[in-house]
Amino acid sequence: MNSTFLSLTIALLFGIGTFLILRRDIVKVIIGLGILSHAVNVLIVSTGIFDGTRVPILPGSHNDAGTTGSVFNDNLAEGILSPVVQAGTHMDYVDPLVQALVLTAIVISLATTAFILILAYRIHEEYGTTDIRELRRLWG
Amino acid sequence: MISITDHLPILLIAIPILASMLMVFLKGSPVLQKNLNVFIYLCLVIFSIMLLQNVWTGGIMVYEVGEWGKYGIILVADLLSSGMVLLTLIISFLSLIYSLDYIEKRSLNSTYHSLFNLLVAGLNGSFLTGDIFNLFVFFEVLLLSSCGLVIANEKGGVTKTSDKMEATFKYLVLSMLGSIVMLIAVASLYATMGTLNMADIAVKVSAASAAGTLPWHIFAIALLFIVVFGNKAAIFPLHYWLPDVHPTAPSPISAMLSGVLIKIGVYGMLRVFFLIFRDALPMFQPIIILMALATIMIGAVSAVGQTDVKRMLAYSSVGQIGYVFLGIGMGSAVTIAASLVYLVNHAIAKSMLFLTSGNIIHHAGTRDMHKMGGMIKTAPIMASVFLIGAMSISGIPPMGGFIAKFMLFKAGIQEEFYLPVAFALFFAVFTLFYMMRAWMKMFWGTSNDAEAHDDDPSHASSLLMIIPIIILAIFVVVLGLYAEPLLLLAQATSEQIVNPQPYIDAVMTRNVR
Repeated sequence: MNSTFLSLTIALLFGIGTFLILRRDIVKVIIGLGILSHAVNVLIVSTGIFDGTRVPILPGSHNDAGTTGSVFNDNLAEGILSPVVQAGTHMDYVDPLVQALVLTAIVISLATTAFILILAYRIHEEYGTTDIRELRRLWG
Repeated sequence: MISITDHLPILLIAIPILASMLMVFLKGSPVLQKNLNVFIYLCLVIFSIMLLQNVWTGGIMVYEVGEWGKYGIILVADLLSSGMVLLTLIISFLSLIYSLDYIEKRSLNSTYHSLFNLLVAGLNGSFLTGDIFNLFVFFEVLLLSSCGLVIANEKGGVTKTSDKMEATFKYLVLSMLGSIVMLIAVASLYATMGTLNMADIAVKVSAASAAGTLPWHIFAIALLFIVVFGNKAAIFPLHYWLPDVHPTAPSPISAMLSGVLIKIGVYGMLRVFFLIFRDALPMFQPIIILMALATIMIGAVSAVGQTDVKRMLAYSSVGQIGYVFLGIGMGSAVTIAASLVYLVNHAIAKSMLFLTSGNIIHHAGTRDMHKMGGMIKTAPIMASVFLIGAMSISGIPPMGGFIAKFMLFKAGIQEEFYLPVAFALFFAVFTLFYMMRAWMKMFWGTSNDAEAHDDDPSHASSLLMIIPIIILAIFVVVLGLYAEPLLLLAQATSEQIVNPQPYIDAVMTRNVR
């Protein structure tokens, strides 16, 4: 149920973002790009929610693998694809790796958005308009 | 005892990043800044030669950043990565020397050096990383720094600032969309396979494929990756930003963009499709071949109609990258070797042509080929090196481009792709036509140089601008006359690409400590 609403939210954000980047105003395009990148961020976070069969978190330090029965190294001869935890292990966590990924993605999109906003300001100075159809001096 | 050879992969990324910060602090002393940066690049070239030599003799080199085995970020230097790093650093070293006299003093002093370092860090990082999310991060690093460099001012100001703004805006918006698509692909891949390490994903995909449980959306993810790398490499439906961005950038940056940056897409395609999706590859080969042929056609036909010399070279880049993708799409060891040879030859010849066009533009004071003419008398060196580059791009025998085209078509016929090869061969004739027409327009005929520019000292071609071009021209000729080492390297590399088991073994045997 929860994940249905999450999926709908992501879809809606993608829809709004796509609509906005097809507008003529540069600022709307930039807002659209921001919304799209947030839609992707929510998508990434949503991939970290799963139902408890594959737990990526190490209990204790990463040297404790022997005592907890978790397997972190592949053994292709026996058909073991790591990470594998003991049967019946259940943990109430979501995957923390995707949240680290999202932090990185947010910082990157902050930098690109800052750059593109300054660029939009300079374009407004040079061209006297923010209409994207006027930016056609280079065509052909 | 810490040996420097063990740490080469991280040094090739860390030194440019640290240098970029150092360059900001050295703003007050421009001479020191210049000399230090050139010295750093000399060291980096030596390091990359050492890396290639290490990988050639000692096999694939894996460097763990941290002790987390395949769970942490790893850097992998196989022959493809280290070869691309060497190519990048040679071209960026020469472009840097060229830009010392070409870029305007203030721009050079304040931002150019540090952004250039970041660009090289991004390029080296994307070639060396073994983690697919890290690949995305380095893509963003090189995207933002290249945007900053496209806006950098050259001396004389032949290109208007408004043009630079417009081109950068197009480039940035399209690349942001590309990186959003890449994030979607990476997130879906992680959600499906539970890992971000490329070798690990490859193991899991082939295990799932062998068990017959490969989920259908792996194919959708692979298509998304075609969009991402196609956007970087400017192949057919996504090529339209390139002819705006590459001409408006200052010439040394055009050389970097056309020489190295669009090759990132080729590298990504080779890495992702031949390592991760190699079980799904037969399905995508026709798509890649079709797009490559469309790219060749669009690039060749559009380049014929151009009057702006740099725009003509940019469309030519679009066409030439199509040939590289044609070899990749055919997908066997010989064709990939051929397309790697093509890639190296195109990178060197095209960056030389862009640097030469910078000199020509400064000499003539315009980018319009119709307004040039008779420069063979006033700029004989430029005329001869441009001829060498034009001959190489159009594939005339003594130059490197001939070997590349010959290898590619021979490999294509050997693999029985008759129709694509015939199509590509037909448009290769166009290349010959537009390159030679451009050369004749600029260097033959009556002289109508803008006389005023000869008096202006800012337009003089200094020795620092001529030497890098001559070195690259020597490379072009040598690659044509003595191509055996390159062919040997390309064959070994393509065997590693087609059979990625050594790569996977080298990464996966790293245990979690």
